[in-house]
Amino acid sequence: MINELLLQFAQYLEAQEYSQMLVSGYYSWNWLEATHVLTLMISIGSLFIIDFRMLGWVLPGVSATTIADRLHKPMIIGFVIMFITGILLVYAKPVENVQSFWFRLKMILLVLAFINAWVFNSRMRAAEGAWDSALVAPKPLRTGAIISLCLWCGVVAMGRFIPYDWVDCPKVSNTALLWASGCVEQLNAL
Amino acid sequence: MLSNFLSNYRSVAVLAFVVLTIALVEFFGVRASVYPSLLPFFEWLKYSSWIGYLGITYGSVYATIQAVHLISMALIGGTILVADLRLLGVLLKDIPSETITKGTHQCFKYSLSVAIATGIFCAAGVADKVYYMPVFWIKMLALFAGSCFIFFIKLPLLNSRPHNEVDPWMLRMLAVASISIWFTVAATGRWIGFS
Amino acid sequence: MNNSKWDDRTIAAASASLIILGALLYYWVGEVQSTVELLELAYGSLKFFNNPLVF
Repeated sequence: MINELLLQFAQYLEAQEYSQMLVSGYYSWNWLEATHVLTLMISIGSLFIIDFRMLGWVLPGVSATTIADRLHKPMIIGFVIMFITGILLVYAKPVENVQSFWFRLKMILLVLAFINAWVFNSRMRAAEGAWDSALVAPKPLRTGAIISLCLWCGVVAMGRFIPYDWVDCPKVSNTALLWASGCVEQLNAL
Repeated sequence: MLSNFLSNYRSVAVLAFVVLTIALVEFFGVRASVYPSLLPFFEWLKYSSWIGYLGITYGSVYATIQAVHLISMALIGGTILVADLRLLGVLLKDIPSETITKGTHQCFKYSLSVAIATGIFCAAGVADKVYYMPVFWIKMLALFAGSCFIFFIKLPLLNSRPHNEVDPWMLRMLAVASISIWFTVAATGRWIGFS
Repeated sequence: MNNSKWDDRTIAAASASLIILGALLYYWVGEVQSTVELLELAYGSLKFFNNPLVF
């Protein structure tokens, strides 16, 4: 049911003039994708520095909450740009993305990463002042940092896998994988 | 007198030598004559070496290594941006820039090593294609120039004295040059993917 | 090494930065795209939906 709804929505988007313009334009798709990838340096770069500081791997002489506070803004700016370009990329190829196993996995990991970030932030605010100058953060924050690193590495990896066709709908016969990828036509044919 | 000059201005002399060598290599067509002799190496890299074999045969391995390459690129960008934006006085202004420079350098070194290692693997998988791409050679030149700039020019200056003793415009110029060259490395890398 | 403001490392850093910035400017503006085409690209990105170079 959910797969049918998602596919219908994707087909509706694909039929729109602006969606077709984005994907067929000589420069538009390349600029969008290049911006999306290059902004990784700002968003993920800042995030990794914050996480690495929690683990004591970088900038050991600087208070961890200071690093997190100061790098918060560039990180958010980076993520906003990635969010906008990401939405436009999906809008340009909606059916392809909605039926991509890697894209779906990427979205799940993104949601988990944001939940982890929210929990991490709350824990950091609660523990403020008690450990600032310590080389490493308290264990709950270190755990949050490691989970964050793993989730965001997963997001980047899944994003890199999207263009590959290994588990595209026509190539898959496993029912679970077909359902997970939202391959409605192939599922109905079984 | 020459030995006096060379001992007092060693970095300048080395820089002048490198720039002169590059200019002469270009002017006398050395690059153009060496270029065809590199083709056998690139073909060996793709078709005979184990990294080329892995890259061609197992697309999933190639894609995973590419993802690691992207992550290390993100980390390089993060460390460069944090350090250079501090030099520009944009970020982390209440923390001494010496601390930021020293504190990010280790991370930069590790991520650069990972980026180079994974980059070799990625290039090996498509070695016969990238050999003919001018943008690939521009990326290699930018990577070489950027690495030399960081390790032999920027860091020796910044580690030799407190930053408030360095001309502020000098610091800004270093930061802008550093950000620009590493952005070029990343952008030309992305361009390879589009070609 | 002398202690003046413009010592060996400072001169090398200034020269290297200028060379790098000059080379990058030459590459991105001069070699890769002619200035006119770059302006068309820039203009095209502002005129997002009507420029044939963008779409």
